[in-house]
Amino acid sequence: METHLKKYGQLAVSLSGVIAVWWIVSGFGLVNQNLFPTPPQVLAAAVELYRDGVLISDLQISLKRAAIGFTIGSTLGVLIGLLTARVFAFSVALEPFLTLLRPIPAIALVPIAIVWFGIGEGSKYFVISYTVFLAVWLNTHAGASSVAGTYIRAARSLGANRFREFFEVVVPAAAPHIVVGLRLGAALAFLSLVAAELSGASSGIGFRLQDARQFIQTDRMFVGLIELGILGALLDSVFVLISRRLVHWESA
Amino acid sequence: MMQNAALKIVEEPQTMTNTEVGRIDVENAAVTFKGPKGKKIEALAPTDLVIDPGSFVSLIGPSGCGKSTLLNAVGGFVPLSGGVIKLDGEPVTGINPDVGVVFQQYALFPWFTALGNVMFALKRFPISKQERRDRAMAALKEVGLEGREANYPGQLSGGMRQRVALARTFVTSPKVLLMDEPFGALDAQTRVVMHEILLRVWEAHKATVIFVTHDVDEALILSDRAHIMSAGPGRIIETMEITDERPRRAHEVTESFLKNRNHIIGLLRQPGAEDH
Repeated sequence: METHLKKYGQLAVSLSGVIAVWWIVSGFGLVNQNLFPTPPQVLAAAVELYRDGVLISDLQISLKRAAIGFTIGSTLGVLIGLLTARVFAFSVALEPFLTLLRPIPAIALVPIAIVWFGIGEGSKYFVISYTVFLAVWLNTHAGASSVAGTYIRAARSLGANRFREFFEVVVPAAAPHIVVGLRLGAALAFLSLVAAELSGASSGIGFRLQDARQFIQTDRMFVGLIELGILGALLDSVFVLISRRLVHWESA
Repeated sequence: MMQNAALKIVEEPQTMTNTEVGRIDVENAAVTFKGPKGKKIEALAPTDLVIDPGSFVSLIGPSGCGKSTLLNAVGGFVPLSGGVIKLDGEPVTGINPDVGVVFQQYALFPWFTALGNVMFALKRFPISKQERRDRAMAALKEVGLEGREANYPGQLSGGMRQRVALARTFVTSPKVLLMDEPFGALDAQTRVVMHEILLRVWEAHKATVIFVTHDVDEALILSDRAHIMSAGPGRIIETMEITDERPRRAHEVTESFLKNRNHIIGLLRQPGAEDH
């Protein structure tokens, strides 16, 4: 409890410090306020967006896209990662190909995704799930292929068949890596979400950022950026919380 | 009710205390590894050895003497490059659940509780979940871990973890128990406790035990017979019968204990027997 208080205290101090500096820099005419709005201006823009109803609807649509893309990408990532790590045929067939795909950044996929899936939801789901998939696959594959030899020997000498060896030994042994992959995947889901929404979208946080650019509404852009920051941080701490329970033996 | 009871006996995974099973014949068995630059390394020179059913045998020697290799070959973890190892007349061809293993590093599954680890070993038998649970609890009680069943390995001390490992292995009453320096990482006091527990459990289940160690006292305290090994190539250089009555204690040394200890240490000091 005390460490929690300390953590929140630190967060409060650091945040108020940043806001204070921001306020001073923007409020005293050190920079052009049209380019660098003050905290009250940003707050006002947020209220305006809320009144228009787009703040909440943007948030909803963006979260939905991230969630669906993440679910598809991470499910495939875990399944295929386990297979490429433990089944020789899959490893031969897929590993080199997936390794080649990895350096392609998500943004580079947006044009082709739009051609393939149109400017509707399909292209967003594709870009996000693709990005999440690669991160989750890589971590799952690494975790499942580096299971300690003693665990496998122990399982076999205790009479476990291949099925039990896989589900009761390989999967839990790889779980800490899988969880790291999922956490990374969640962060990447946000990254690719914005990439997908910046072009060819008519809603969502990314679209709102792009839309605000047309009218040089930097206050609205700040709202979007802060939204992304808060969402990302919240999501990450939820992940840390869940993973601590899921792979509780790692910290023990 | 009577029928039920009879059925239960039939379901027993293995007959307990059967001293006729667990004979190991090592016949001209050799193991070579490929070293760096493709050079062949003779980890175990052709070796002949008979291990009596139900006996407690130690393999002792410096690192590189092939003691772990021989143990792993009996366990089916390492393929032979020549000769044969038979368990009750059947050649060892791979990992066999009749041969229990307690590993050097704690090979407990950290994602299962102590109870879950022991129950893991019982899952290959067609018994009810309740019975599996009861037997696992009994095995934990046997090694003095009653009340610790819900703990995860990470919450247990090193000695307790090896006790869980012992329970997990003995719960299925294997014919043979292989132990590769199982207490090497424990402090001296915990070791003494572990020796007592091991001997007690062994006497109750009467499996054949092959115990690898580099601690001369440990070999003398535990075993019926010690095979002293040497490196370059790994081989048995002498076999010693240890006839002292149990319990034997390192702090109440008998004359024969001391004689045996001096003899073994002398052997291990000979040229060609140094640690590599």
